[in-house]
Amino acid sequence: MMTFLYFIPNSWLPLLESAFYALIFPGFVAILLLAFFIIWFERKAAARVQMRYGPLWVSKRTGGIIQLLADMIRFSFQEFIVPQGADFIPFVFLPGLLLAFSVLPTVFIPIGPDYSHIFPSSYTLLLAVAFTLVIPVYLVVLGWAADNKFSFIGALREAYLLISYEVPFILAVASAFLLYGTLDLVKIVGIQESTLPGIILNPIAAIVYIIAVIRATGRVPYDIVEADSELVFGPYTEYSSLMFGFVMGVPYIELYSYSLLFSVLFLSGWAPVTGIGFLGGLILPGIVTFVKAVIVMCFLVFLRAVYPRYKLDKAVRAGWSWVFYLALISLLLSAFVSRVLW
Amino acid sequence: MTQEIKTVPFTYEALSQLEMKEGILELQIGPAHAGSGHMRILAWVEGDTVVKVDPDVGFVHRGVEKLSEDRLYIKAIPIVERPSLVDTVNANLGYVIALERLLGLEPPPRAQYIRVITAEISRIMSHLYGIAIYGIFMGSSTVFMWAVADREPFIDLLQELTGARITYSHIIPGGVRWDLPKGFADKVEVALRYLENRMKDYEKVWINNPVVMARSVGVGKLSSQDAIRLGVVGPNLRASGVKYDVRKNDPYAAYADFDFEVPTFKEGDSYSRLLIRVEEIKQSMSIIRQALKRLPEGKVIYEDYYKRMSPLMKEIYDKTGRVKFTLMLTSLSPPKGEAISRVEGGRGEMFYYLVSDGGKNPYRFRLVTPSFRNLPYFTHVMPGHKLADIPVIYGSIDYFPPEADR
Repeated sequence: MMTFLYFIPNSWLPLLESAFYALIFPGFVAILLLAFFIIWFERKAAARVQMRYGPLWVSKRTGGIIQLLADMIRFSFQEFIVPQGADFIPFVFLPGLLLAFSVLPTVFIPIGPDYSHIFPSSYTLLLAVAFTLVIPVYLVVLGWAADNKFSFIGALREAYLLISYEVPFILAVASAFLLYGTLDLVKIVGIQESTLPGIILNPIAAIVYIIAVIRATGRVPYDIVEADSELVFGPYTEYSSLMFGFVMGVPYIELYSYSLLFSVLFLSGWAPVTGIGFLGGLILPGIVTFVKAVIVMCFLVFLRAVYPRYKLDKAVRAGWSWVFYLALISLLLSAFVSRVLW
Repeated sequence: MTQEIKTVPFTYEALSQLEMKEGILELQIGPAHAGSGHMRILAWVEGDTVVKVDPDVGFVHRGVEKLSEDRLYIKAIPIVERPSLVDTVNANLGYVIALERLLGLEPPPRAQYIRVITAEISRIMSHLYGIAIYGIFMGSSTVFMWAVADREPFIDLLQELTGARITYSHIIPGGVRWDLPKGFADKVEVALRYLENRMKDYEKVWINNPVVMARSVGVGKLSSQDAIRLGVVGPNLRASGVKYDVRKNDPYAAYADFDFEVPTFKEGDSYSRLLIRVEEIKQSMSIIRQALKRLPEGKVIYEDYYKRMSPLMKEIYDKTGRVKFTLMLTSLSPPKGEAISRVEGGRGEMFYYLVSDGGKNPYRFRLVTPSFRNLPYFTHVMPGHKLADIPVIYGSIDYFPPEADR
């Protein structure tokens, strides 16, 4: 393993590997690059549908892919304004915390078969889901801290939707657990490799999962929390400068961790590629998992070009009625399929 | 609950009582807000339910009436166009008809037909813009971009005819400023076919979109009796089931010559207000086709004005079809009296009242715009709905603050 790094003592290698995983791939650097790509893709795909060019003039040769960099530079030179009535500490520190918590789930999601020795746990599914579900709570606090009526209403909407869509989400994950009979994501991919991908074994759970992800990450048609024609920018209304960049990036990173989990749970993760060691057991399978997640993300951001925004009360009603029923059916289906298969 | 609030008259005592009530949040939507336009909407919400809405109009008041009274009759034309920038031809037409009634002249039929053609093109553009605003207020940037971009062929047509893209000032007392250029009819046909094809895309992506239906069917209902009682006008009135169109009920220009329907819907909700705009675009296309087919030959300017032109100007007119402004046109002084005119603009009935004291400027000019008359939708229809319905109703009535504020 990592024989090319011969000058490093053997005892450091696990640490180095973890650092690589957290900082470079599929951690921080990959997420940053992916954010560039996905925001560019979202704007470019919508522009294609809408008969526009989309981002173009920042580096015309690459089709404007570094537009986000230009935006971030602009944000960083703006003044950061803290409203007079805002709760200073939550208002200033929550965006960073949100960003951190949106990255955290990726730690628990394996990208390759050899991942279990980096994060040895048989409860990775549970941990990943638990950490993704922390974010909305911070969002509610953030909306309250800004001392703005639109932020406040946005936070309330978040709270309503949070409850109505987390139950189906947890049920979808629970039906995956029921299907595979384990909470260890590495083993879950192993089961899918030997049988069929989860999306074929239990398509209803996959659908419920996707709907809940659209909701949780505020993609259209469920961008009810940020609804610009109603609430300006929902809980993030008062943010400016780099902090605005942070809070704008949070939904995309959330989307990334949800999609990564989806590709592991339902798309059989690194399925065709498997092996041992740093390269064969982590990087190559990791790329496959990553690409699957990116395809899911591209689908989810493309919805912006098709749908208008849904309404809060109808979304909540949907969350407690047909999405919930679908989630229950997916549980039954999982029980049935697992009974038949093993 | 809705009915109770509807009957509460707007008084400041009632308002202060409302503010004192516990659990009511006052929202100031606008004037710098993505969902307000150039106005402030004061909304009081209880939970997620709107209990009272007060549109605070006047933010973009520009004094069109007073400015017009300080100018020569003909120089007021560019000003009356300004309030409704997406529907300038109809605004221009109404003013000129009032002025012609003061002057007591009747433009030649060819000019009347050209007026109808440009007015209907303008109506199509206005309706497309209305659909665009409806789209962006509901969160669909696609429909916004599409509808705004699909105005382009029509803007190009009028640009070829008049040289301007938005404010044409094409209609003048006694006729129009330019005759149709060669091959105009074919270009119009190309643009109309393009829009017909595009309307199919709209139907797929927007009109039959389940989310659009979920958000707008049954939202912002106004019954036909209430619509008449509150005096709303235009497509919104017809969406409530009242068959009233100035083009049919009080025909002006050449509208009496054409065969067209006045589409109505019974429901009176936001969705039918969207559908009626689509239907009216189809009717406008039919009118334009009829007008181009039966376009009479002749002059585009009042015969007497042509006779009084200098030989050079006559030569220019005969060669290029362009009416040069003569001294006689620029210093019109109608006899003492008053005149009214009504036209059916894109957003509804526009009313013009012009008083002359025999001088060179209008003595008094009054302009009532459709957006102003559609304001009751804010005060009477929005209460009782959810907060998220405010932009939907606002977008569906195609309200345009600069037009209301004049």
